[in-house]
Amino acid sequence: MPVNETTLASQVFDQLQQAMACDPDGFMELYRDYLADAWHALRTLRDAAQLQRADDVRANAHHLKGSSMVLGARAVAQCASALEEMGRNADVQGAGAMLERTRQALQEVQSELSRRLGAAVVPGDKTAV
Amino acid sequence: MTTTPIRVLIADDHPVVRVGLRNMLQADSLVTVVGEARDGVEALELARRLRPDILLLDLAMPIVAGMEALREMTAGSLNTRTIVLTGLIDNRQILEALQLGARGIVLKDAAVEHLSQCIRAVMQGQYWLEGRPVQNLVHVLRDLTAQTAPPVRKTFGLTARELEVVTLITEGCTNKDIAKQFGISEETVKRHLTNIFNKLGVGNRLELALFALNHDLLPTTEGK
Repeated sequence: MPVNETTLASQVFDQLQQAMACDPDGFMELYRDYLADAWHALRTLRDAAQLQRADDVRANAHHLKGSSMVLGARAVAQCASALEEMGRNADVQGAGAMLERTRQALQEVQSELSRRLGAAVVPGDKTAV
Repeated sequence: MTTTPIRVLIADDHPVVRVGLRNMLQADSLVTVVGEARDGVEALELARRLRPDILLLDLAMPIVAGMEALREMTAGSLNTRTIVLTGLIDNRQILEALQLGARGIVLKDAAVEHLSQCIRAVMQGQYWLEGRPVQNLVHVLRDLTAQTAPPVRKTFGLTARELEVVTLITEGCTNKDIAKQFGISEETVKRHLTNIFNKLGVGNRLELALFALNHDLLPTTEGK
C-alpha cells in the first residue's frame, strides 16, 4: 500500500534513516521521542483550549509544528500551524475540531511508523487521547 | 587533500528538532556539529565560546528570541554566519532577518532537502532564500522592501490641511469644531470644504465621508 506523503514524507524519513544507518536504535528513539512529545503536546493543547488560554495554544502548537516539520509529519504540522494561528488570533473557540484532526493525523503517523519500524516505536506511556 | 569540516552550532528549543538536525548534518562528511543551544542566551554564549562557522538559529526561542539573538550576533565581532531555520516566515521577517545579518533562511520542512546545500552556499559567500542560492541580494532586498512597504496613501490632489479636514469630517466634527481644533475661522473651514468637494466631485459631507472610507483617504491607525 503506498504511503500517504502527507502523513509521513518519505524523503524526510528515508534520508534521516540513511543518515542514521549506523545507529538504528537512535533512529527508532528519535521517532519514539517525537511521538511521546507530540502526544504530550496534544494533551497540553487540549487543556489550554478548554481553558481558553490562547497564548498557551499558540506556544504548544508552535512546538508541535516544529518537530513535525523536521521529521516529515506534514499533516500534523499543518494542523499545528492552524492551531498556532488560532492562538495568535486569540480565537480558540473552534479549536476542538482542529484538535481532533490533529489527533487523527498523529495516530496515522504512529501507525505508519509502527508499520515501518515495529511496535517498539510507540512510546510506553502513549495512550491515544 | 583534507578539507576542514564546516563547524555548525544548532540553536532550537525543541530537543527532537535538535536531534533530528544533528543527525541529518552528521551524515554530511563536510559538516560537524560542534554544539547545541536550547535558547537564545545559550546560543550567544556557545557562539562566542565555540566560534562556529555556521549558527543554525530558530526564530522562536525562549529567553532571548531568535531575532534578538541575531541582532546581538551581528553586533558582536564573530565571524559566524547565521542561517535562520524556521517553521513559517513572512516577507517582513525575511527582510528583518537579512537586515540583521542572516545569510540564509531554511524552512524546517525543507531541512532534509536543503540544509546541507544552504550551509555550503553560505560558506561560499552566497545568500540562500526560498530553497536556492540568491544571485543578487540587492534585487531581493528591493523586492522585499517593496512588498512589505505600506501602500502609498492616495490624496486625490488634496493638500495636507484638506486631508486633515476630511479626517475630522469623517469623525463627525462640525465646522466650528474643526475651526477650533486648527485655530482657524469657520469661513476658512468652509473654503477648505468647497475645495475638497470640487477636487473629489462630492456634494455633501456624507458623500465626502463615504468617499474617504471607500478610497482609503483616511490615515491608518496603529493597531487597527
